[in-house]
Amino acid sequence: MKTADIGKVLGYECLCSEGMEAEIVDGYTSDLLSDVMGNAPDSSVLITIQAHRNSVAVASLAGIRAIVLCNGRKAPEEMIEAAINEDIAIFRTSDNQFTTSWKIAGLLKKN
Amino acid sequence: MKFRADLHIHSCLSPCGSLEMSPARIITEAEAAGLDLLALTDHNCARNLRAFDHAARKSNITPIFGIEVNSIEEAHVLCLFPTVKQAEELGDFIENRLPQIPNNPDLFGDQVYVDEHEFILGEVEVSLLQGAEITLEELLKEVKERGGLFIPAHIDRPSFSVVSQLGFLPRLDYSAVECVTWPPVIDTADYCVITDSDAHYPQDIAKRSFTFEADSPTFEGLYDALAAKRVTPQKRS
Repeated sequence: MKTADIGKVLGYECLCSEGMEAEIVDGYTSDLLSDVMGNAPDSSVLITIQAHRNSVAVASLAGIRAIVLCNGRKAPEEMIEAAINEDIAIFRTSDNQFTTSWKIAGLLKKN
Repeated sequence: MKFRADLHIHSCLSPCGSLEMSPARIITEAEAAGLDLLALTDHNCARNLRAFDHAARKSNITPIFGIEVNSIEEAHVLCLFPTVKQAEELGDFIENRLPQIPNNPDLFGDQVYVDEHEFILGEVEVSLLQGAEITLEELLKEVKERGGLFIPAHIDRPSFSVVSQLGFLPRLDYSAVECVTWPPVIDTADYCVITDSDAHYPQDIAKRSFTFEADSPTFEGLYDALAAKRVTPQKRS
């Protein structure tokens, strides 16, 4: 699936629209960034509540293409700026991490 | 001259702190342990610092007024000030940014603050263990603007440290970094390293400390010593 599908199909709010054509092949759900860094697969979408600039740094290192912020967490301006620079999309939803993971797994299965 | 400091102590105000840890008791124990400087650093709260200040006046200890702030990344940082007022200002700022989730004293312990006679003045109802809604970078700015020291706590611990939460140590303008083990078992870059007790019980005060070289045992002396890295951490015993 394409990054853009997270917004198009699931209706999640897009906070940073960089890299919308990137191919996402996997997902990873975690709120502990050291865990993300060690275990997130390449070309994946990160499902988390960690809404700050350092999440983008970790995502970039781990080869993550998009971040979905759950529970309606607000992204600070500096996080969005970092995401623009790193070519990483950010979405936001009021869904929690479980529901988001379930929905995104469904999308990945279809594609 | 060399002075000995422990900059990380919890009183009865911290949910995990023993009720025996009144500010007066903390000062008594610290004097017995031969400390020159001592910082009280309760979780996300400055409400025991007045009593701490009062207790320290009757001793030879220089009090440092601190808060161990839990940032939005859930990373613990020691924020230290020369005056109660500066610390209280940051304390108010942080308390206003805590999620309104009540503390459960049965599970996490009481969060009481006291006066100089150890009378309980009140109890903080919101859980002080939570991450405040402020990023590390924003917190750094708030602390520096108020003339404080900004020291990431126990960065070599597997939980609630900058490194455990983020997986790396962001290169920010830290005054120093605190480790539990010396020599450090992780990369501390070029930062000045200190070791503190993180005491929650009286017997743990000064179980780890560090010495610094300065003209006087004051906040300014400490500030300059950290900036110049004139610091000797305590080896793991």
